[in-house]
Amino acid sequence: MKRQIFLLALAALSFAACEEIAPPVTGYMGPVGPGPDDVAGQQRQVLIEEFTGVRCVNCPAGSAAIEDLAAVHDAQLIAVSIHAGEFSPPYAESNYDFHTPEGDQILSYLGEPFGYPTAVVNRQLFDGEFDLQLGQSQWAGFIVQEKAIPPKVKLAIKPVFNAANRALGVDVTLFVQEDISSTDVRLSIMITESGIQDVQLTPSGKDASYTHKHVLRGMMTNYGGDPITETLSGGAEIAKTYTMTLPVGWDENHCDVIAFVSLAGENKYVLQAHKVAVVE
Amino acid sequence: MNTKLWFAGLLMMYGILPATAQDAQGQATGDGGRISGNLEATGNFYIRDSLIRAINTPQYDHQKYGADAWLNLNYSNWGFDMGLRFDMFQNSSLLNPTGSFTDQGIGHWYISKKINKLGITGGYIYDIIGSGIIFRAYEERPLAIDQALYGLRLTYDLSPDWQVKVFSGRQKQQFDTYKSTIRGFAINGFMGSDSSNITLTPGFGIVSRALDDASMSNLVSTLNTYRKEDIFIPKYNTYAFSLYNTLTAGPFSWYAEGAYKTKDSFTDPFQERATVSGDTITGRLVQGEGTVFYSSLSYAKNGLGITVEGKRTENFDFRTRPQEEGNRGLLHYIPPMTRVNTYRLLARYAAATQFAGELAFQADVEYRVNKALLLTANFSNITNLGDNQLYRELYTELYYKYKRKWTLYAGVQLQEYNQEIYQNKPGVVPVKTVTPFFDFLYKIDQKKALRLEAQYMNVKEDHGVKADYGNWLHGLVEYTVAPNWTFAVSDMFNISPGKLSPENTKTGAKEKIHFQRLDVSYTQRANRFALSYIKQPEGIVCSGGICRLEPAFSGVKLSVNSTF
Repeated sequence: MKRQIFLLALAALSFAACEEIAPPVTGYMGPVGPGPDDVAGQQRQVLIEEFTGVRCVNCPAGSAAIEDLAAVHDAQLIAVSIHAGEFSPPYAESNYDFHTPEGDQILSYLGEPFGYPTAVVNRQLFDGEFDLQLGQSQWAGFIVQEKAIPPKVKLAIKPVFNAANRALGVDVTLFVQEDISSTDVRLSIMITESGIQDVQLTPSGKDASYTHKHVLRGMMTNYGGDPITETLSGGAEIAKTYTMTLPVGWDENHCDVIAFVSLAGENKYVLQAHKVAVVE
Repeated sequence: MNTKLWFAGLLMMYGILPATAQDAQGQATGDGGRISGNLEATGNFYIRDSLIRAINTPQYDHQKYGADAWLNLNYSNWGFDMGLRFDMFQNSSLLNPTGSFTDQGIGHWYISKKINKLGITGGYIYDIIGSGIIFRAYEERPLAIDQALYGLRLTYDLSPDWQVKVFSGRQKQQFDTYKSTIRGFAINGFMGSDSSNITLTPGFGIVSRALDDASMSNLVSTLNTYRKEDIFIPKYNTYAFSLYNTLTAGPFSWYAEGAYKTKDSFTDPFQERATVSGDTITGRLVQGEGTVFYSSLSYAKNGLGITVEGKRTENFDFRTRPQEEGNRGLLHYIPPMTRVNTYRLLARYAAATQFAGELAFQADVEYRVNKALLLTANFSNITNLGDNQLYRELYTELYYKYKRKWTLYAGVQLQEYNQEIYQNKPGVVPVKTVTPFFDFLYKIDQKKALRLEAQYMNVKEDHGVKADYGNWLHGLVEYTVAPNWTFAVSDMFNISPGKLSPENTKTGAKEKIHFQRLDVSYTQRANRFALSYIKQPEGIVCSGGICRLEPAFSGVKLSVNSTF
C-alpha cells in the first residue's frame, strides 16, 4: 500500500506544472481603423461568406458575431451574407426573397455546412479542418491568421452609378504584387445590400423588423468568378470593366461592390478582397 | 505518414501480409505466430429525393456513390502484439453528414510488448480511465469517431492485483493528429479474498491536456472580440482527476466515480453575451472548473435484477482544443443516463449527454416471473442544473416465450424530449410521445422463422400542430432461413405529419410520406453480405450512447463484413 501511495504522490507531482505564462487577452479594444486609402498601402482584406436564411433561427447569432468581427477588423474584414440552402426560402409575409441563383451555386461550390451559424473564411481549407465551412467559434482566429498574410494582389474598384437609368459600371484594376503561378485565377464581383428590414426567424420568434446586412443581391461575374487570362506576374496591372442595371428595389445608397481574386479548382483560396460603396 | 509506411513495410518484411492471403481462414501462420483480422466495408449509392430532403450534398448532386471501409489485421509472435488497420473513405458522409470526405491510408497501427512486469505499447492506443469520464480513447465507426491516442503507453504490474499506467501523445484526427498534447496516469487495483464475497476494484486517474500555440492563438483572437466583462485568461494546461471504485458484495454491485477538472475553456451553447455592436447572442466561450459525480447500484438475485444510476455533470466539456464542436475532439466519454433503445421509433429521440450541466437518474428493473415470462421496466429523468426538464422516459416491456414455437416482446414507451436543447432548435416545444410496440417471432421449423415488428408513435399536439414530424407508424416483416439468408421489408409512415414535415408544393398540405426499407443479407460462415434499399427521415443517430442529428438518406447500401 505504501508503494501505491508513493506512486500517487509521484504522479500528482509530475502533473503539477509550474505557473504558466498567460496569453495576452485584451478583449475588444476598438476598431483598428480603416487603414491606408490608397492602393499602394492596401492591407490584407479578408473575405467572410456567411451562409444564412430567413428561416434559420440560429443565424442571427452568427450575423451578430460577424458584426463584432467587423467592428474589430474594420476595412480588413469584408462580410457577405449569402441566403441559400434549406433555411432560405422566404415566408409568405416576407417583403423580399434574398435567394439568388449565384448564392445557391456558391453554396454548392463551397459545400454544405454541418450546422448553422456557418461561414467560409477566404475560401481557405485551414489546417486540421475537413470543410471550408466553419463554425462560429473558429471565425475570429482564422481571420487573424489570414490578416497576417500580405496580399499577393491589390485591388482598386471604381463604380459609376447613373441614377437616371440605374446603370452601374464598375472598373476593377488588379495590381499584382508578386508572381502568381496558379493557372486558374478568377475575379468575382458581388453586389451586397445592407439595412434591409424584413422578416427573420429568431429564438424569440419571427422578427418583422430585423435588419439584414451584407446581403448578396447579385453578381457581375460568374458565381465562381471570371477567369483572368492575363499573365499574373509581379508588377502587372490588369483592368476589367463590368456593367449591369441595378434592379429597382435595391437601394443603391446601401449597396456595396465587393471584388475578390481567388484560385479555382480544388483550391479556391481568396488572394485578396476589396469593397467600395456603389454611391460614395 | 512516413512512420506508417515504415511500419507497413516492416509487416511486409516479416511476411505478415502474405501470410494473410495464404492463410486467411487459419489463425496460426506456421511460424509460431497468430494472425486475426476483420473487414468492414460499406458502399452507398445515393438516390436524390427532394421530397424527404435527401438533396444538396455532393453525393446526391453529382457524386452518386460513396464508400467506407476498415481492414484490420492483428498479429502476435515473438512476444509482440501488433496491429495495422487500413481505413478508406470515399465521398464519405460519416465525418460530416452534409459533406463529402475522401482519403485513405493507415488509420491505426500499434506494437506492444510485455517485458516482465513492464508493458510497452506504441502507436494508436485505445484506452479508458474509470468509466471514461476524464479519458476514453475509442472509436465509433458509424459516427466517424476515432479518439485514438497516437503516442506511447507504459504499464507496470505492481503486484498481481495492482497496475499503474502512464501515457502521452496526441489525439488522432483522421489521418493526422491534433496538435495539443495529452498525458495521463492511472492506477487500478483489486482487493478481495477467496474467503470473502466482498471485493473492491478501486482506481485513480489523472489526465492533462496542453493546448498548442495555434489553438491558443485562435482562442485569444475570439476573446479579443468580446466585451471586457466577458473575457478571461485561458489556460494552456488543464488537468482532470478521477477517483473510482466498484464494490461487489453478494448480489450487490456498486460503482462510484467522482471527477474534477481544473479551469478549462469551452463553448457554452446556452450562455448569452452582449456583443460590441449592442446585440445579445447565445453561445460563448467560458472558462470554469468542471465536476462529474456518477454512481450505479445493481442487485441481481432470484430472477430479480435492479439497477439504479445517478449522474451530476457540470462544465465537463473536455476536448483536445476548445474550437471543436459536436463529437469532434472529445478526450472523454460521459455515459448517457438513458435506456439504449434499438427499435426504430423508440430510438428516434435519444438524449445525448449535456456536458454543460445535467442531473440524471435512471432505474431499471427486470423480473423473471417464470421460464416463459420476463417483465422489464425502465425510468430515466434528466434535468439541467436549473431544474429544467431535458428528457424523461418510461419504458415497459413484457417478454413471453411459448415453448420453442414463438416469442413475443410487447410494451409501451412514454417520452418527453427537449428538442430545443438536444437538437439546437430554439423556440420549439418539447416533443412528448407515447409509443406502443410489439415484436413477434414465429419459428416455422428448425431453420425458418418469421418476425413481425410494429410501433406506433403518437406525438402530442401543441396549439393544434403536432411537434417535429408528428405521428409515425412503423412495421417490419423479417423472414430468416438459417444459417444463411435474411429478408426484411419495413415501412416507416408519417401517418399524421407534424410541424416540420414537408409540404406539398402545390397544395401546401403536409405530405404523408412513406420511408420504406428493404434488406437482404447472406451469411456464409464468417462472411456477411447485405444489400439494402433505404429511405430514412432526418433524425438522431446514436451509436454506443453517442448521438448526432443526421439528414435524411435515400439510396442503396451494400455492406460486407468478414472476420478471420
